[in-house]
Amino acid sequence: MASDQSTGSDIVSRRKFLVASGAVGAAGVAGCTSQSDGDGTDETAGSGSTDTSMLNAEGSSTVYPISNTGSAYWNSNSPPDDGEYWGSSGESTVPGWSDLGEPDMNIADYFASLYGFEPTEERSNPPFPTSIGLSHSGTGCKAVRDGKVDIGNSSGPITAELGISESEAQEEYVDHVVGRDGQPVVVSSDVYEAGVTQLTGDQIRQIYQDEITNWSEVGGPDQEIYAVGRAEGSGTDTSFRLNMLGGADAAMPGVDTRKGQNQQVATVIEQNEGAIGYMALAFTSDAVQPIAIDFEGTVYEPDRDAENTIFDSDYPLNRDLHMYTKITEDTPDGTDMREAAFLNMFLTTFGQKLFVEDVNYIPLPTSDIQSEKDKLPEQTA
Amino acid sequence: MMTIPSTLDPDSLRSAGMQYVRSSRRFIDEATPSELATVLLSSLSLIAAFIGFLLVSSWTVVPFAVFLIATGYGWAKHQGLMARALTLSMTISTLVILGLIIVFIFLRAWPALQYGSAEVFGLNVPGLRMFIQTRWNAAADPIRYSMLPMIHGTVMVTIIATLVAGPLGVAAALFLSEIAPGVVRETVKPAVEILAGIPSIVYGFIGFTVLSPWASDQFDLVGQGTYLFVGIVVGLMALPTVVSVAEDALTSIPESMKSGSLALGTTDWQTMTSITLPAAFSGVSAAVLLGVGRAIGETMAATVMLRNNPTIPDPIFNVFYGYETLTSLVAANYGEATGIQMNALFVAGVILFITVLFISIGSQLIEARMEQKLGGVE
Repeated sequence: MASDQSTGSDIVSRRKFLVASGAVGAAGVAGCTSQSDGDGTDETAGSGSTDTSMLNAEGSSTVYPISNTGSAYWNSNSPPDDGEYWGSSGESTVPGWSDLGEPDMNIADYFASLYGFEPTEERSNPPFPTSIGLSHSGTGCKAVRDGKVDIGNSSGPITAELGISESEAQEEYVDHVVGRDGQPVVVSSDVYEAGVTQLTGDQIRQIYQDEITNWSEVGGPDQEIYAVGRAEGSGTDTSFRLNMLGGADAAMPGVDTRKGQNQQVATVIEQNEGAIGYMALAFTSDAVQPIAIDFEGTVYEPDRDAENTIFDSDYPLNRDLHMYTKITEDTPDGTDMREAAFLNMFLTTFGQKLFVEDVNYIPLPTSDIQSEKDKLPEQTA
Repeated sequence: MMTIPSTLDPDSLRSAGMQYVRSSRRFIDEATPSELATVLLSSLSLIAAFIGFLLVSSWTVVPFAVFLIATGYGWAKHQGLMARALTLSMTISTLVILGLIIVFIFLRAWPALQYGSAEVFGLNVPGLRMFIQTRWNAAADPIRYSMLPMIHGTVMVTIIATLVAGPLGVAAALFLSEIAPGVVRETVKPAVEILAGIPSIVYGFIGFTVLSPWASDQFDLVGQGTYLFVGIVVGLMALPTVVSVAEDALTSIPESMKSGSLALGTTDWQTMTSITLPAAFSGVSAAVLLGVGRAIGETMAATVMLRNNPTIPDPIFNVFYGYETLTSLVAANYGEATGIQMNALFVAGVILFITVLFISIGSQLIEARMEQKLGGVE
C-alpha cells in the first residue's frame, strides 16, 4: 500500500489518492496492523518546508469509528458548497457551521490552513492525506511508542496498555481525548413513571448482586426486578463490574438476561416491565429512560445542563477515548502541525456532532473541549 | 446404503484388495507415460499445495499454480482420465477438510477440558468437572465452565420442538400423501417446501419481538425468554422438513401394497395405520430425526430468544424460563470470549458434534434395519 504514496511526484493525483485510500480502507477492514509507511518520512506532496506526508493512526476498534469517519471527511476535502459533508448548500448545512465562521474553504484545506498548510482547493486532494488502521488499543499504543504511526488510538489509558507509570506517560506522550464512551443506567418506562428516576451506586450494586429483587425496596412499584446485563467477559461487562460492583471479578448473581448488543438491550428493556440495564446513550428513548445516579453524594444527572452529568469523565461508567501522540526531539510539545490540524477538527462543534455523537459516543462537554484544545500548538491562521 | 456387512468379511476384503491391485496394475500398463506424468504432477502438486497451506507458507501459490496448469493441460489432452483423478482428489479433499475441522475443534477445546478436569478414584479425568458441577461463570471466582446448563437447555428445546414437529409433521404428511386430493397436494407440498427456506433469524425475530413479550405478560414471568416458546418456534421451523421428507417416504410405498390391504376389506384408515405407516416407518423416522437435528443445531432463533445466562432452572423441568443452549452459548459469546472461555465454547462445539454424529449414525441404523425388515431386498 505504500507504493502509491511514495512515488515522489509533487502533487498526488486524485486517482492515485483514491487508489491509496481504497487500499488503506481495505487494509483497515482486514484489520491490517502494519503500516509500512508509518515513519512519516516519505514525501508525497511536498509544498515548501511543511511536512505533508500521510498522517497515520491506528489502534482501538472503539476509537476507530471516530477517527476513521474524521479521516474519510478529511480525505474527501469537500468544498464549502457541498452541504452534506462540509459547508452549506441550498438544501442543508453541516452542524456547527456557523461556529466555525463559515469559512470559504474546503474542509481539509480549512483545518490544515489553521496550522500553516497550503490549501489545494481540490476535492479529494487534502493538503496531506490521512489513514486510520484498525487493530487494538495495545497495538495502537505500541505503534505510537515505536514511531510507526503518528497517532495511537486507545480506549484505555496508555499507562495500562503499555504498563508504564503515570509520570513516564506524561513525559513521553500527549493524551488527546476526543470523545467518551459511556454506559448510562436505564430503566423501563413503567418503573421510571412510577418514580424511580434516581438510584444510588450501592442500590445498583445490590440489584445486580441479587440483594434487592423488588422495585418496592428502592421506592418503586411492587414489581420484581428484571436485570439485564452484557455478554460475559466483554469490555462493557468487565468495566461495569469494575466500576459498579467493586472489581473486575465481582459476582453478578442478580443478572437475569445477558445481551451482546446495545440494540438488543434496548428492545428487551422496552418490551418488559420492571427492567433495568446499562447501554450506550444513543439507544435511550422514552421507553428506555436513563436515570440519575448518586455516587457517594454526587448526583450525576442525565441532563447536559446539570452541574454533574452522566456525560462527565468522573461518571464511573464513562471512559475517555484517547488519541495519543508522542513527544520527540522535533516536537517537544508532542503534537506536530499535521497531528494538530487533524485533531483540532474533532475538537469543534462540527467534529463532536459528526464524528462522535453520530457514531454513538458521548461528545465532550464544552469545558473539556477547551482544555483539549490547549494541548495543541498555537494556530497560525 | 453402503453394503457394510459384506466388506467386513476378511475374505472378501482380501479379494477386493487383490482386485484393486490388479486393476491398478492394468491401469498403469495401459496408460501412456504422458497421461501418467500429468496425473502424477497434478496430484503431487495438490499435495504439495496442501502441505504449504498447513505450514502457512507464502510459496503455497507455486504448487497450486502447477496443479492448475497440470490439471488444465490434462483436461484438454486426457479428459477422461483427468476427470477420474479430479473427482477422486475432490472426494479426498472433502474428507481431509472434515478431518481438519474435527482435529481443530478438539485441539481448541482441550485447554478448557484440562481446566475442567476432576479426580475420580485418584484418576485425573479432563473435562469431568464440566459435567458434574452446574456452575458456569466466566468472570467471578470460582471461574467454572459447566456444560450442564447448556446440555439441559438443548435437551429441553429439542424435546419441545420434537413434540411440536413430530405429530404435526407426520399428520400433515399423512394427509397430503393419503387423503388430500391431487390438486391440494400439488399446491400445498411446494408451499411447505418454500416455508423451509425462511431464514431462522426471521423466526427468531418474531419470537423475540412478539412471542417472548406476550409469554412474559401472560405467564407473569420476570423478563422474557422461555424454553417453551423457543421449543415451539424451533419445532415450527423444523416442521416443513418433517412434512416434506415424511411425505416422500409415504408416497414411495407401492400402490400394490395398499390395494392389497384395501382388497381384504380394510378401511382407508386401517390401511394407513397397519400398512402405509409401518412400511414407511424408516423414512418417517428419518424425517423426525432430521427435524430433531435441526432443533439441536438451531442457533439464531434460540440466541435471540433466550436469556444467554447459563443456569439450570428450578425445578429442572421449568419450561417457562429459558437460559442457554449449546449453540446459543457459542453464538452469544464468541465475539467477547477470551482465553479458557473461548476454549469452553469449543467444548460446546465438540458436544454438539458428537451428538449430531450419534443422531446421524442412529438414523442410518434405523434406516438399514427397516430396509432389511420391510424393503424386501436381501
